Amino acid sequence: MTAAPLPYTNGAHQLAHQFLVEEAHLLDTQQFEEWLDLLCPDVRYLMPVAVTRARRARPQRGTEPRADDGEGMAHLDEDLFSLRRRVERLATEHAWTEDPPSRLRHFVTNVRTFGGPGPDELSVQSYVLLFRSRGDIRPADLLSAGRHDVLRRDADGSYRLARRVVHVDEAVLRTQNLAILL
Amino acid sequence: MLDLRSITTHVRDGLVPAHIYSDPEVFALERDRLFARSWTFMAHESEIPEAGDFVVRRVLADSFIVSRDDAGAVHVLFNMCRHKGMQVCRAEAGNASLFRCPYHAWTYAADGRLVGLPFHADAYGGEAGLARQDHGLLPAPAVAAYNGLIFASLDPEAPPLIDYLGDFAFYLDLYTRQSEAGVELAGPQRWRVRSNWKIGAENFAGDSYHTPHTHTSVVEIGLFGEPQPHKRKEGVLYAAGPGSGTTYKLPPGDFANGLGYVGYPSEMVSRMEATWTTAQRDLVGRSGFMVSAATLFPNLSFVHNWPQVDEGGRVAPFVSLRLWQPVSATETEILSWFAVDKAAPAEFRAASYKAYLMCFGSSGMFEQDDVENWVSITSTAEGSMARRLLLNSRMGLDHQGRPLVEPYADFAGPGVAYQGFGEFNQRRWLAMWCDAVERDT
Repeated sequence: MTAAPLPYTNGAHQLAHQFLVEEAHLLDTQQFEEWLDLLCPDVRYLMPVAVTRARRARPQRGTEPRADDGEGMAHLDEDLFSLRRRVERLATEHAWTEDPPSRLRHFVTNVRTFGGPGPDELSVQSYVLLFRSRGDIRPADLLSAGRHDVLRRDADGSYRLARRVVHVDEAVLRTQNLAILL
Repeated sequence: MLDLRSITTHVRDGLVPAHIYSDPEVFALERDRLFARSWTFMAHESEIPEAGDFVVRRVLADSFIVSRDDAGAVHVLFNMCRHKGMQVCRAEAGNASLFRCPYHAWTYAADGRLVGLPFHADAYGGEAGLARQDHGLLPAPAVAAYNGLIFASLDPEAPPLIDYLGDFAFYLDLYTRQSEAGVELAGPQRWRVRSNWKIGAENFAGDSYHTPHTHTSVVEIGLFGEPQPHKRKEGVLYAAGPGSGTTYKLPPGDFANGLGYVGYPSEMVSRMEATWTTAQRDLVGRSGFMVSAATLFPNLSFVHNWPQVDEGGRVAPFVSLRLWQPVSATETEILSWFAVDKAAPAEFRAASYKAYLMCFGSSGMFEQDDVENWVSITSTAEGSMARRLLLNSRMGLDHQGRPLVEPYADFAGPGVAYQGFGEFNQRRWLAMWCDAVERDT
């Protein structure tokens, strides 16, 4: 991203920032059906695996973070169908891994907003730190990531998530699963 | 003090002392006797397709570079400089013409040869003081591949890999040789769970009994219809050589019907038909079973499921390989790969990849609930009460230890198979574990 981000006083930036904070609220309070309402029908949610490489290493097949049409591997590579299945599963009485539920807190910071790529779209970068506590005796987990989002404005003027790429900061995740979302 | 004789006597009787799933003394024996000897999976050749490609993998605490040299040969090299012990490769994957130690610049080729060290003449008197040919990176004591799956053993006396695999190779082909082109791996996803490594290995070896309950939620949402109790118990549990696994019973039909039912396109079915032996084809076509989960002792597992991948109800099969890499008695790193036939059409590959991500791996909806169970078992196994508790792993046996059912007669694969629920395979895996931890130098 070569252009400078929108000033913090810009209304579009403020809307984007508020979107991320409200979204974090829905995820932390586990209102997943409401979270689905924030997604565009053609949403793409991607979390590539992080691979430790030498600074000047040339890309190598197989372990490179998955491009849109390329090979590689991701922790999550979702569309609305698969995200909806995940939410439906958590709503059953048999999703043991989240029952009792994790206590979650998404800390969202370093929000930078840019115009585009589409005419009704904003590109939004943010940092997220997820705190996850399960049960009473297990140590809590932390997941640190950067996110590159595209928000798209609907006919009614509200923004929805069209695309998210989560760049997780650990090559080996230290949480038992991704039954949670970043 | 560990009473190993008591542990293995109970385990062989199908009564498992719970503390073996958390005990550091047991883990030390596993490290020194089991993992110091057995063949363990390192990488697949498709992960390092070109000269200079490498990945770094571990056998417990030992770091190895799995590299491909200019002539195309694969090497497994201990990632420790021969001079002062620095890791010569600190990336986990990449392409490099040389591995140069950051400490004093000793430099190694992809085949492990020491090809450079500064001031060889001034500092060592050249070859007179330090013969380069004697100071290459230490190779893993034994290395071999099957279907491109690269295994290493820390035991120079390890039996040939093909002998070790024995009759399990028959089943390995079903996962990793669906055409002459062979399989290709993507990944791995890597994550650490606070679970003992044995629990996952045992589970994949034969636990068809957990599926209807642990994975109820995926049936409820219509993602995968097979793991219902009445369907699951029609499958057979097979065991052959150092491996074993679970199957699902297919609806009536021939070879092509069976593979079509789980979502393989006809061109892939044709390639499997051309590649597999008569007995391998008969497993699907005549016996009517499709392989699902499996474990190759000690810690490489496989899974093959066929969930729904879109709103239209399309079913797509996927294959995953996973390594239960022990970190400690109470922690395991899971490495989970997506595997697909190299000749598979791009459209199938995309659907299969989606099926994999939805079901298994770090975010998979099956795997999520499995790991919750295994973490809970491991932490509960740490206490005093767990030292008194013998877990019942005798399913499928009567009080005298006789199987409740006869082996399944019409099973086309090698080894022994039982239809219905039973812990035959887990006991078999545990018996191999007993043999390994009892084996003194």
